[in-house]
Amino acid sequence: MVRVLPVFRRSLGDSWRSLIGWSVGVAAALLLYLPLFPSIGGDGEMQQIIESMPPELVKTLGYEQIASGPGYTQGTFFGLIGFLLLVIAATAWGSAAIAGAEESGQLELTLAHGVSRSQYALESALAVLVKLLWLGLLAAALILALNEPSELDVTVLNVLGASKALVGLAFVSASLALLVGAATGRRSLATAAGAGIAVLGYVFNAIANQVADADWLRALSPYSWAYHEMPLSDGPDWAGLALLWGLGAVFAAAATLLLRRRDIIG
Amino acid sequence: MSHAIETIDLKKNYGSHAAIRGLSITVEPGTVFGLIGPNGAGKTTTLRMLLDVIRPSSGVARVLGETPQAGGPALRRRIGFVPGELRLEGRIRGRALLRHYAEISGQVAPGAVDDLADRLGVDLNREVRKLSKGNKQKLGLIQAFMHRPELLVLDEPTSGLDPLVQREFLTMVREARANGQTILLSSHVLSEIQQTADQVAVLSDGLIVAEGDVAALRLGRIRRVRASFTGIAAAALRQELDHLPTLRDIDIDVTGTEPVRLTATIDGDIDPLVKLLARHSVLDLAVEEPDLEESVLQLYGSSANGRNGEVRHG
Repeated sequence: MVRVLPVFRRSLGDSWRSLIGWSVGVAAALLLYLPLFPSIGGDGEMQQIIESMPPELVKTLGYEQIASGPGYTQGTFFGLIGFLLLVIAATAWGSAAIAGAEESGQLELTLAHGVSRSQYALESALAVLVKLLWLGLLAAALILALNEPSELDVTVLNVLGASKALVGLAFVSASLALLVGAATGRRSLATAAGAGIAVLGYVFNAIANQVADADWLRALSPYSWAYHEMPLSDGPDWAGLALLWGLGAVFAAAATLLLRRRDIIG
Repeated sequence: MSHAIETIDLKKNYGSHAAIRGLSITVEPGTVFGLIGPNGAGKTTTLRMLLDVIRPSSGVARVLGETPQAGGPALRRRIGFVPGELRLEGRIRGRALLRHYAEISGQVAPGAVDDLADRLGVDLNREVRKLSKGNKQKLGLIQAFMHRPELLVLDEPTSGLDPLVQREFLTMVREARANGQTILLSSHVLSEIQQTADQVAVLSDGLIVAEGDVAALRLGRIRRVRASFTGIAAAALRQELDHLPTLRDIDIDVTGTEPVRLTATIDGDIDPLVKLLARHSVLDLAVEEPDLEESVLQLYGSSANGRNGEVRHG
């Protein structure tokens, strides 16, 4: 009998339908946005629209580079729709894994079997991570497939780098949702934490874009860690990636420790 | 051989609320131990502590020779557990769900799951979320019994089951005991415990208020009696009944018209009452088991009010 990673496999088995749903969402976003680039981005028309918009709005949305292929892909997908989709998926999965299972009474029964608390938390984190990696990989593959027809002019290395940043950013939300779920057992709090860190990061980044004195806010913004160095046009930002993935790992480890100490109350 | 379960002065507080206030029980291997008490008495809290789902505030629990926390996953593989409030959901099918639990339990013999499913009558090919409460409970029983664990910890295992399946369950418990397995069973239904348990502890408000072997506990002897008569005056009936020391709370309808109606509580041997009633013309007779909460309060009301150490032994 196969006994490797039982919690991980159960988690994937329970959520493959939702994973298909999110995959469709990511694919639809890319297939809607990217093919528009040659008609509205490449011929200077887009640049005129951007120049007519309030500069604060442009900076908030990160649309300064939108006339270039990498800038357009970053501004529409990685910085906005893809970010939203992956963070929402990550938060939903992260808060369901521990807090959701506890509130629904599943966690009590699972932990009454031969599964340790740490094993449960780590396998749950792994399951969420694998699902997010799949979404990141799918996005990268679609962008590369659309590269030629949509005249995006992006490189394989840079698309993979930006995907790593996006997945890392989503994993920060997922692992914080796991952590808060492990600490409190309450799904609403876990969801609020996962969504909250993403929103705060985005807001800090947007403020720093507009106010030169607020540049220090970038240090507190996972969104800035992911994208400030413009990985899609300038290549992977290893320092930013290390920060993102490091924080995700710390959150996941803390979730493991907290779950070990607590009463499970269904 | 050591005890299958031993707790010494086990306590559990939730904030300032004391859910368990010093619980000491021992369960011997190969026996059925019944933990009974009204809802909210602390049965679920006690059983969860044995599985390390929650942790005691103080005191010691030893399960199969180890503390639940130190025993960890390896210890829990030797236990089968049905939680008090079993909630199963999701699109997963019964068979796949049980396969998952088999992976994180002790070794399950080939065919064991299907045998149990046949006995209890549950379709393993249906999605769990579409099952009725009773059918979910059957899955809960299967996952607890399927690996023939040394110890079964069953929290209100028959809730939601229809009477036929309840009877099958009682057979499964007796078979498990015959196999040498130990069973700790909680219930708020007295008759269920009476039919299976060797030893019983009565839990009320976080304390053991009575313990002993089932026959010796007086719980089962309290009965509510209702009867109606013709051909006898209320006063004469009362005079006769007053001679029965086991009868209390005697209430005779004194409207003066027939039939004469009687309600009373009997605590003890029922035979003298039956003989007495038989001398008259009985129109109607009902002898009922009161609910457990009532029996516990009636019998052990004083010690259930918080004085520790006054446990009655049967």
